[in-house]
Amino acid sequence: MLNYIIRRVGYLFVTLIFVMVIGFVIIELPPGSYLEFELQRIRLLGGDLSQAQIKALEIQYGVNDPIYLKFWKWISRFVTGDFGESFEYNMPARTLVFARLPFTIIISVLTLIFSWTVSIVVGVYSATHRRTALDYTITVFQFIGLSVPAFLLALVVMVFAQRTLGLHVGGLYSDQFVNAPWSWDKFVDLLKHIWIPIVVIGAHNTAWLSRVMRSNLLDVLGMQYVQTARSKGLLERRVIWKHAVRNALHPLVMVLGMSLPAIISGETVVAIVLNLPTTGPLYFRALLQQDMYLAASFLVFLAITLLIGNLLADILLAWLDPRIRFE
Amino acid sequence: MEAKTANGQPPVLSINNLKTYFFTDLGVSRALNGVSFDVPYGRVMGLVGESGCGKSVTSLSVMRLVPKPGRIVEGSIIFNRGERTKDGYKVIESVEMTELEANGPKARSIRGAEMGMIFQEPMTSLNPSYTVGNQVAETIILHQDVNRREAMDRAVDIVGRVGLPNPADLVKRYPHELSGGMRQRAMVALALSCRPALLFADEPTTALDVTTEAQILDLMRELQGEMGMTIVFITHNLGVVAQMCDTVGVMYLGRIVEMADVETLFYDPKHPYTAALLRSIPHVGSTTKERLAPIRGVVPDPYATINGCPFHPRCDSFMPGVCDAAVPAETNIGDGHMVRCLLYSDKGEVEDNG
Repeated sequence: MLNYIIRRVGYLFVTLIFVMVIGFVIIELPPGSYLEFELQRIRLLGGDLSQAQIKALEIQYGVNDPIYLKFWKWISRFVTGDFGESFEYNMPARTLVFARLPFTIIISVLTLIFSWTVSIVVGVYSATHRRTALDYTITVFQFIGLSVPAFLLALVVMVFAQRTLGLHVGGLYSDQFVNAPWSWDKFVDLLKHIWIPIVVIGAHNTAWLSRVMRSNLLDVLGMQYVQTARSKGLLERRVIWKHAVRNALHPLVMVLGMSLPAIISGETVVAIVLNLPTTGPLYFRALLQQDMYLAASFLVFLAITLLIGNLLADILLAWLDPRIRFE
Repeated sequence: MEAKTANGQPPVLSINNLKTYFFTDLGVSRALNGVSFDVPYGRVMGLVGESGCGKSVTSLSVMRLVPKPGRIVEGSIIFNRGERTKDGYKVIESVEMTELEANGPKARSIRGAEMGMIFQEPMTSLNPSYTVGNQVAETIILHQDVNRREAMDRAVDIVGRVGLPNPADLVKRYPHELSGGMRQRAMVALALSCRPALLFADEPTTALDVTTEAQILDLMRELQGEMGMTIVFITHNLGVVAQMCDTVGVMYLGRIVEMADVETLFYDPKHPYTAALLRSIPHVGSTTKERLAPIRGVVPDPYATINGCPFHPRCDSFMPGVCDAAVPAETNIGDGHMVRCLLYSDKGEVEDNG
């Protein structure tokens, strides 16, 4: 088991290096640079810079350096913790990333926990009560969840929360807490807000996973070892949860790796609609503005989050299914 | 209080007119259509027949494990809970299994403890996620008043008893690390972990190669003698029947059509179906030019209704106007030899096939 984990961590670093190289190249790929973007802005305002000034700035920022040199400059500082400056915000990229990354991680993890819990419970119920009225009702909601896009759901939930429940929507805190220091009240206020993005981001995933859970469990319930468990005289509850559900879970863990990117990209759209202080909107803007060091830093940290998520999924799978450990 | 049977021992299991139907969207499938037999203590009763004749449903009905949409609709299953002494079986309580709630406490206390079951597919009958020891010990903890460690010790003990090598290490292994034969031994260990009085073996060797099959059969015979077990052995392999069983019931479409002790059945089969089954297998001394005689036709669709004797469309001794008019009744033709055929009795039952 330990060997397995070490090997997986090794793969993680190799993948990360590839992600950094490819990501950097793609961000550099479009013509132009932030300098041109800034020049245009100044010219629009009526000002201008002399050719010599522009030349000096180009040299200062290394705009015309070959890409490998740029990459080297970036990566060699990156490992020491200096992620470069954001052109747009005139701040270290590091400050911006670390101010927002925790919210993305918190929301993603909570969304995962939410969708897993709901889909296991719902999936087990509908598999063990197949073709009952409630099973059909669940199926209807599953298909709605699968087909409604997240941004639309976000808007609907916003309207519903504001009009019917009278809640303050948008953002993660009420106005009075936005700049307040952490306190119990602020935490309670956070909980009041955070369920909306969790439900909205998780809806699609939950609908999908509960479908997967239902069909897996139906397969497993037909397996001979479930009959064996019953022939031992076990309680039906124990037959289902110990012998069947455990074996129906591993496709769910396998799709965990796939559902993480879906959650992070879904989170971007929802965060823009709901005005959440997560990485998504800022990353999106940095890409549009060619604010490259900020964009690259976001890319790396999102990639790290994903890779760690996948690593955890692999370890969980190995723990769940003894057949994987010995390969 | 109990009727003594052929070997002077009370029956461990006594089934009377058992009917188990499956109510599907396509109609009602009469999987068991009036099955009756007794299994005396210490004997091995064989149930043979083609696929779909109701062999497995019989055992599932007794265990109260008939899957939905199946249901026992009629008949009685008496299981005699008892004590095994050196003089034989002492009945303590007669349980009418059909009256129990299928997943109720009483049915569950009997399942796994006093009735065990071995299934056909050793590759899939053990849970891949748990060690062999865990699965064997689970049954022991459930039915016996022991803690985890004692249960594991007993699991090691029984795993050793079924001839698995190095039991202390083997209980820590997962099913996928064992071969088919080893898994079936582990399954035998699981089924026998609480020393059940009655064991159902549902084609336990069908998926194994002949060498392993012989070993498993020897093992079951040996453990049967040692533990004083009564076995219902389900198979479609007549060779295995000859090797394992004391009495044999031949099933066709949810009924036992002939029942006799093993010698009588092989040397003096009365029912045309039994005779046809025996003709369809090769025997020592047959020449290479001799063709095996398959039974013509196929087993009818389970939803179909056949008037009269269910075997008459395939029967070589079909008597028009007789066999298609009445369902033959169980006829005793002496010395525990029962046959359901109008060749031996003109007693027909009222047509009840709908």
